[in-house]
Amino acid sequence: MNTKLDIKGTISPFNAITKLFEHPNTICYPSVKKEIPKGYRGFHTNTLTDCIGCANCQDVCMNEAIDMIPIEEDKNPKNSSGCIPRIDYGRCCWCSLCTDVCPPSSLKLEEDCIWANDNSNNFLYMPKDK
Amino acid sequence: MQTNNELIKIFHGPQHPGITGNMSVELDLLGETIKGARTHVGYLHRGFEKLIERRTIIQAFTIVCRICVPEPDPNEENFARAVENLADIEISQRAKYIRVMVLEMARLGALFLWMGGQSGSIGLGTIGQWSVHDRDLILDLFEELTGGRVYHMYIYPGGVRRELPNGFLDRLSQLLDYLESRLPLYDNVFFDNSSFKKRAIGIGVVDANEALKNGYVGQVLRGCGIKRDVRKDNPYLVYDQLDFEIPTFEGGDVYARAMVRRGEIRESIKILRQVIKQMPEDGLIMQKIPKHRKFKLKKDDTFVATESARGEFAYYMAGDGTEKIRRMQVKGPSLIHGFTLLEKLLIDEELSNVAMIMNSLGICPPEMER
Repeated sequence: MNTKLDIKGTISPFNAITKLFEHPNTICYPSVKKEIPKGYRGFHTNTLTDCIGCANCQDVCMNEAIDMIPIEEDKNPKNSSGCIPRIDYGRCCWCSLCTDVCPPSSLKLEEDCIWANDNSNNFLYMPKDK
Repeated sequence: MQTNNELIKIFHGPQHPGITGNMSVELDLLGETIKGARTHVGYLHRGFEKLIERRTIIQAFTIVCRICVPEPDPNEENFARAVENLADIEISQRAKYIRVMVLEMARLGALFLWMGGQSGSIGLGTIGQWSVHDRDLILDLFEELTGGRVYHMYIYPGGVRRELPNGFLDRLSQLLDYLESRLPLYDNVFFDNSSFKKRAIGIGVVDANEALKNGYVGQVLRGCGIKRDVRKDNPYLVYDQLDFEIPTFEGGDVYARAMVRRGEIRESIKILRQVIKQMPEDGLIMQKIPKHRKFKLKKDDTFVATESARGEFAYYMAGDGTEKIRRMQVKGPSLIHGFTLLEKLLIDEELSNVAMIMNSLGICPPEMER
């Protein structure tokens, strides 16, 4: 074992002390929230006046997280199937392939991404109409 | 194992802070000295290779990034390049530069995360707090670019999925300035630290001939003084147009591997600066690719490799003319390092060095259980 005294290597780590007087980088969540950048992959939104019920989103979803659910109020006469997508957030991996394949681009992801609930059925999410 | 009760058997992991993921090492101890080591995996089996065979190409794309959590982008790049080879797709120069930028940012992020793990394994907890914060700044940029922090799902067969946000390259440049200004601090507190040197020098020594013979990759090989890097040996994307060095170090021990990584952080910053300068302003980021069910691969096979932050990541892919991939095999650095090398290196080492050696080898269990 090398017993030679490494003076530089012994003193230099004490540089860390200078950081004691710096402002901390952490934020006090939830009172202070971090700004979510534009384009963040959060919850789904679906413009019902544009959705044509084609189920392309359901077909491409590898996690089988999308079910096509019959709509109560028909907002788009071109919606031939009469169904709109519902997302299971217990299965979704936010890959956004569903939004890529959406022909009228009605299905999108918004920046909102906070969801906490103790009932697993509440993770069956009907996208907001935006 | 002997049966005369001289040896004590303990399991290091899977719930041990010093283990590099969901795996365990079964150790036979004589006092504090390790006399036998066996790697156990199976806590994480996710069967990526089999899952991919059952999915269409576009669906398979979302699985590959999960093969390596701290550094998913080399997997995405390998997958995309293999599919492009089998579907005869040529991507634009701009998309290639964006891919290099993403790969180098991912490398930087992974190296900063490694610094936290490596220093934590010998009790230098402060460095981990700093380096994880610095990595977080890289993840902030990823979030802006790709919409996700850890799993980016950005490099896609045919190019990349999104255009760069306004002013992104300026922000990246500012971040590189900041990270560069932090490096002397890491040198002072970690790489030049006498307590780290005393712990790491002469521990976990890998012989250069053995390294070549057994197919070790990445920092394990470069820590033995052997200049091997896929980016130089078999350049992909635009790496042949960029000027960078392959850091090497003599000794083959934990310290040598740490010093190689220290050099790689500087080289990655150098590459990113060149990418920012040379990035073409025009060019399609995404080539036109067939629709979901119509995207078929020709009946052929291909082998692609990418240099990740832990060594060579390679994919073998075979298509059979249908919309699904016939076979995809992943060769990551962890399998050979985690089984053959780790079991050998731990013999006659102290119990307290296990976490340090594991961290220096860059072992990641999801990639062994792909």
